[in-house]
Amino acid sequence: MTDSSALTKLSISAAAAALRRGDTTALALTEATLARVNETEPTVQAYAFVAAESALQAAERADRELAAGRDRGALHGIPVGVKDNCYSKGILTEVGSKALAGFLPDFDSTVLANLHRAGAILIGKTRCHEFSCGGSEPPTRSPWDLERFPGGSSIGSGVALAARSAYGTIGTDTGGSIRIPASINNLVGMKATYGRVSAYGVVPLAWSLDHVGPLTRRVRDNALMLGVIAGYDSQDANSARVRVPDFTAAIEDGVESLRIGIERDYFLYPGVTDEVRAATENVISALADLGAEIIEVSLPELAFTRETLTTIRLAESASYHRHLIREKGHLYSPGTRATLELGQVLLATDYLAALRARERFRSAMKALFRRERLTALISPTIPVPAPLLPDVWRPREDMDNGETPTDGFVHQVYPANLSGQPALSAPAGFTKAGLPIGYQLTGRPFDEATLYRIAYAYERTSDWHQRQPPHVYR
Amino acid sequence: MADAKGRRDTEARRNQLARLAELLQIEIADDDLATLATQLDALDALEESVLQDQPPILKMDADWHD
Repeated sequence: MTDSSALTKLSISAAAAALRRGDTTALALTEATLARVNETEPTVQAYAFVAAESALQAAERADRELAAGRDRGALHGIPVGVKDNCYSKGILTEVGSKALAGFLPDFDSTVLANLHRAGAILIGKTRCHEFSCGGSEPPTRSPWDLERFPGGSSIGSGVALAARSAYGTIGTDTGGSIRIPASINNLVGMKATYGRVSAYGVVPLAWSLDHVGPLTRRVRDNALMLGVIAGYDSQDANSARVRVPDFTAAIEDGVESLRIGIERDYFLYPGVTDEVRAATENVISALADLGAEIIEVSLPELAFTRETLTTIRLAESASYHRHLIREKGHLYSPGTRATLELGQVLLATDYLAALRARERFRSAMKALFRRERLTALISPTIPVPAPLLPDVWRPREDMDNGETPTDGFVHQVYPANLSGQPALSAPAGFTKAGLPIGYQLTGRPFDEATLYRIAYAYERTSDWHQRQPPHVYR
Repeated sequence: MADAKGRRDTEARRNQLARLAELLQIEIADDDLATLATQLDALDALEESVLQDQPPILKMDADWHD
């Protein structure tokens, strides 16, 4: 297998199999990926920093190990990208901000250390919005449509995969930042259960809402990647001491008799466009045809998720940033600084009210899952396809209540950040204009395996994942 | 009546936030203050109505399964 363009289109599973058959090498995969980086970066700018030299060295080491019979598992020799808010020893970590320009961490974040330990090859650090919230737009562009919003804040993690300049990437998700780019870029993105993946060495946005997780082009790849990065970490106080299963073990077991809830009043509210609604209904029908039980449910407590999450996020991010802002506030972009300072005017009682509201919401969600014996909730990941870049924060013309596309994003994705439940976005189809649509599954804590099982069953009935973005393939 | 009281509460909250911002020497746009005040009022209402016996705990557990 010598065609480097063909190599970069492989899934992780297929590339790993080719490696073990001797059809390719880690060096060939890495060189092909770096060639894609050179070809696509002038257009899409997914990477903040490319670590070409160390990637090639790591690839040669991976090949030597495989030749010597030391196999580190599914990611051995696989090129990956990691969001630039994850510390990388000796490699720039700037989190999209001039306030951290030139910062070279002296240790790896646990997520990156786990990837290294598994033999993955770090291609580079993927761009993110400034401090993962951002009042400024990175130069990253969507290969699906260069004029449209490519997702965020794990913006480069989504775009690098869509551009085939990585086989898997790491993102973080405080309010949808893995699932939104996954939906917009026709990818699979998993925000695992809170505490499932260590956040040690990841620059926080809001400690109690931050989640680290994988983005991939295929469901099985995502499960493989989560298996590598999940696990208890004593260095992260919020890390969960819970067994890590083989997330692929039951992935082919189908959805027969699994109970999947749909909360139409909230998740299929009038802001969901007709095309997104139809795509979601198609996924639901397909899962029903495969034997899942679709249950209509109601959860009025969803109504307060935005106020609750926003208050927590503002308070925690203001707490983290206030000292750095005192020192380097002039280096923050004005919009980012304004967002990160806003929480300083909150009272302790405001923060506590939000924490109490979060617990009430989580309790109500848990009661719903138990009462209805649900394995998952299904919804559109976001209510609209990728908007044009200037329209992201503008009121939608098709809504009369002033709702912006961003309002719609947070409406759909905030609940799982607030409850800490695992939530996955996967491809659900395309609009007539060729823009990807994603659907979201929200599951029981520490039951990511069942979400993969459902998503894999649907993936096998569709070919959405085979579509290529138009702007990086000639 | 309730709406008028709600508006007064939100306005009072907005003024409180503005005074805090001035004290802390933080520049906050009027729109952001208004949005935050509305949001905090919604939380206040929730706290008053249904959060009285709700402590602020977030503990993940695995007992959601059948």
